[in-house]
Amino acid sequence: MAAQQSQGIQTLLEAEKEAAKTVQQARQYRVQRLKDARTEATKEIEEYKKAKEAEFKDFEASHAGVIQSTQSSVDGETEVKLQEITDHYNSNKEKVVKKLLDRVVLVQPELHRNLKKFGQ
Amino acid sequence: MASRPMNDDEVLSEMSKMVAFIKQEAMEKAREIRVKADEEFAIEKAKLVKQEQQAIDAQYEKKRKGAETSQKITQSTLTNKARLKLLHRREEHLQDLFSTARASLADLASEEGRYTQFLQGVIVQGLLQILEPNVTVFARAKDVEVVRSAADAAAQQYNDISGRDVKVDVEGTLSDEGPGGVKMTSGTQRITLDNTLDERLRLLEERMLPEIRQELFGLNPNRRFYT
Repeated sequence: MAAQQSQGIQTLLEAEKEAAKTVQQARQYRVQRLKDARTEATKEIEEYKKAKEAEFKDFEASHAGVIQSTQSSVDGETEVKLQEITDHYNSNKEKVVKKLLDRVVLVQPELHRNLKKFGQ
Repeated sequence: MASRPMNDDEVLSEMSKMVAFIKQEAMEKAREIRVKADEEFAIEKAKLVKQEQQAIDAQYEKKRKGAETSQKITQSTLTNKARLKLLHRREEHLQDLFSTARASLADLASEEGRYTQFLQGVIVQGLLQILEPNVTVFARAKDVEVVRSAADAAAQQYNDISGRDVKVDVEGTLSDEGPGGVKMTSGTQRITLDNTLDERLRLLEERMLPEIRQELFGLNPNRRFYT
């Protein structure tokens, strides 16, 4: 009878041990899940970062392209304007030189407006 | 419960019931833990990812803004450089104009009649500014003769205009390399006046700039007021 009892208790104890193991495994699973959360999050973040980096690089590339085309169009316009200036100058140069020289010898002597002629 | 002690079969069945019960409880508890673990996993992961995403977004927004600003700066530098090129070209032409004019100055002195008239006028102008009883006129050595007669006529004209008398001395000490004209000083040498062709051209260069600009390069499209 005593032997039977202790055997029964033994069985129960073993069942408890098994139960504890099951619960323990579940707990370990939980710990693992938390770690997994971290690593998976990091991975996702990395991918996101890469995507953003690529997006930014595209933006930069298009920006450089815009600058290039603006540069050449501005240069083109400037060339045209420079040529206009020179042409305009060349067609009017003679006239202006003559004007200058005429005025150099143009003299109009006047008495200062605050003075009066002596004897009047 | 049985009023008599259990027999072997009953014991066994009770045992297995109890064992099953323990097992069942453990399984349920384990399942609860696992389910909760999965939930926590999802929440934690989402939280971490969102956090970092926000930080990354802010970072790239800043980078983008920086790039846009530098783009604007480059743009404006371009426009500025272009404008400067235009101005530079105009300046070159202006200098060319002036040097051409200056080169032709010497020719002015070669037309006798015109030059004499000019000299007289210029001396009178000087006299009217100096307004002294004694004046010295400096001319080029080769102009001395012409200047002497011009000075006499000028003194007369000066009297006509102002009613004042003046004694004029002529000295031929001006450099012969100059294009012509005269310099004058008062008798006491305290007042000087430069009426050489070179100086007159220089003054004109400054004062005629607006007019020159308009004739050579056209009106300024951005200008709104003309007196």
